[in-house]
Amino acid sequence: MKIVVCVKQVPATTAEKRYTADLRLDRAASESVINPLDEYAIEQALRLQEAGAVETVVYLSMGPESAAEALRRALAMGGEEAYQVTDDALAGADQWATARVLAAALGKLAPDVALMGMSSDDARGSLVPGAVAAIRGLPLLSYAAELMLTGSTARIRRLTASGFDVLEAPLPVVASVTDQVGEPRYASLKGIMAARRKSLETWNLADLGLSAHDVHGAALTRVVEVRPPETKAPTERVENLGPAEAASRIADWLAARKLI
Amino acid sequence: MNNDICFLAEFDGGSPARSALELAAGAAGLAAESGGAAVGLAYGAGAAAGAASLGAAGAARVVVLSDTDGPAISLAAAAAATIGDDAPLAFLAPATPNGRDLAAALMGLLGLPALGPVRAVRIEGGRVRAEQSTLQGTVITVSESMADAPQPVIILALSGTFTPLEGGGGAASVSTAPSSDAGALGAARIVESHPADAAVANLEEAAVIIAGGRGVGSAAGFEPLNELAAVLDGAVGASRAAADAGWVPYQLQIGQTGKVVKPALYVGCGISGAIQHRVGMQTAENVVAINKDPDAPIGEFADLFVVGDLFAIVPELTAEIRRRKGIPS
Ligand SMILES: Cc1cc2nc3c(=O)[nH]c(=O)nc-3n(C[C@H](O)[C@H](O)[C@H](O)COP(=O)(O)OP(=O)(O)OC[C@H]3O[C@@H](n4cnc5c(N)ncnc54)[C@H](O)[C@@H]3O)c2cc1C
Repeated sequence: MKIVVCVKQVPATTAEKRYTADLRLDRAASESVINPLDEYAIEQALRLQEAGAVETVVYLSMGPESAAEALRRALAMGGEEAYQVTDDALAGADQWATARVLAAALGKLAPDVALMGMSSDDARGSLVPGAVAAIRGLPLLSYAAELMLTGSTARIRRLTASGFDVLEAPLPVVASVTDQVGEPRYASLKGIMAARRKSLETWNLADLGLSAHDVHGAALTRVVEVRPPETKAPTERVENLGPAEAASRIADWLAARKLI
Repeated sequence: MNNDICFLAEFDGGSPARSALELAAGAAGLAAESGGAAVGLAYGAGAAAGAASLGAAGAARVVVLSDTDGPAISLAAAAAATIGDDAPLAFLAPATPNGRDLAAALMGLLGLPALGPVRAVRIEGGRVRAEQSTLQGTVITVSESMADAPQPVIILALSGTFTPLEGGGGAASVSTAPSSDAGALGAARIVESHPADAAVANLEEAAVIIAGGRGVGSAAGFEPLNELAAVLDGAVGASRAAADAGWVPYQLQIGQTGKVVKPALYVGCGISGAIQHRVGMQTAENVVAINKDPDAPIGEFADLFVVGDLFAIVPELTAEIRRRKGIPS
């Protein structure tokens, strides 16, 4: 049983973001991390491996050359090998192009489970898992709070409006996880050392049998404007008051806005 | 190609979900500008019987994709067949798990451009433009599909992006989607359902939310929050820290991996205001925070920031509101 975990490098939530002249995120100017939800996908894969349900954990990332760093960090957490798809023609790739490229790479790797985080910090569309499933012609098990593998089937637990459901599909599948699968481990020093010796192979579009034309110049969409969020009125502060007085001030504030 | 605006109409417990009513109104508004019609694609138990009623919500026509519950991604082939060769201008999908999965599969099957999750959509010079809060809310981006990209552009809309129409409109004309083979996308099935014993509030529809975080300290600590919510006809929500601790069910979690809410009033009690929480509540109209740490990050974006102990202030506030409303305690 083989799992390929798709890993995206994203700007850290604390990093200052900058945009290039053509309105793309200047990824070089921002501090980068593994997309936090992808760390949960890695954790789920490694737990399944530790439980003996999975032999091989492989990582796949599409991104600029510098994204190899995210793959090294993933390898430091565990797993066997990594593949990076990088090509100048993919700069500014949108969700569709990303899905198209990942689907092609997954076609070569042929895992039993292609596993992803439910969304990425910097885009939050959550469209890549479903699109990859559609392009590859595989079942999708999305928003998993837990992934279970037995024989030739995959099962997930997924939260619903009031409780949870169990969904099942025959392998191979595409699956995505939430942050409920368990807190991601930290890489140990030993893991970091070991990661240096693990295989990290680089592919370009041609290696996947794709051309720049196939990915529509990396995007079907474009950003036409970037601006800061609306500035709100400054925060009103209530400090150094007793509870009854503070409560009365809050009630006044609510009444002034017709909220009570 | 035409100028119609399609939207996904999810049915829930036999009637249209709130998202269906919001998207119907959004589609009607955009269609009025584009010179097309608002066309609903309905699915879920009750969709066949309720489809015509979407006319009052703004739909001119409704195509029924399915009349049963289940993973919506299995309807991708039917949705693609419905769009057919006469592609509409835009395709609105709710940013719910089912809506996202179905939209994603459609994007993959037909090679369509997709934008979102968005917070505003408009038509400019015949093209659809969508406004998105990106990078954890630090920037607003406006995007569109490339001029030579295929139609329709898929737009994932967050709850609250559009406001349901109030009455008006007749019945929509109803048809059934052409039968199509779901293929592998239909192979994921729900094999067990475990509803909770007690009903859980639907935070996406609450006008007032009293949210508790790690500072609430225990399940019992939520009692004063419940009482405050009761006098304000509101619901109780939580941070992930409170849900992880098991003090409230996960369905009450607000944030990146929880609900995205847009109440008229949000009161955060013992919540620090981490970015992952903030993205779930930053579009609340009024934000009040009660926190004993004067430097808590939530103090930087709340409208009213009250520094103090929630256990002292919240019960006083409940009592004060009762007094002002004339509710006996
Ligand atoms: C991938 C990922 C997804 C996540 N998704 C979410 C999400 O969807 N939603 C979410 O909420 N978080 C999410 N988180 C977690 C988030 O980063 C924070 O850890 C979490 O929001 C913190 O919750 P909190 O504010 O309740 O706790 P803390 O940050 O610990 O804050 C507790 C606050 O309570 C105050 N306090 C303590 N006692 C009192 C008192 N008696 N009276 C008044 N104030 C008091 C303290 O001053 C402090 O500010 C996510 C994290 C990751 C990595």
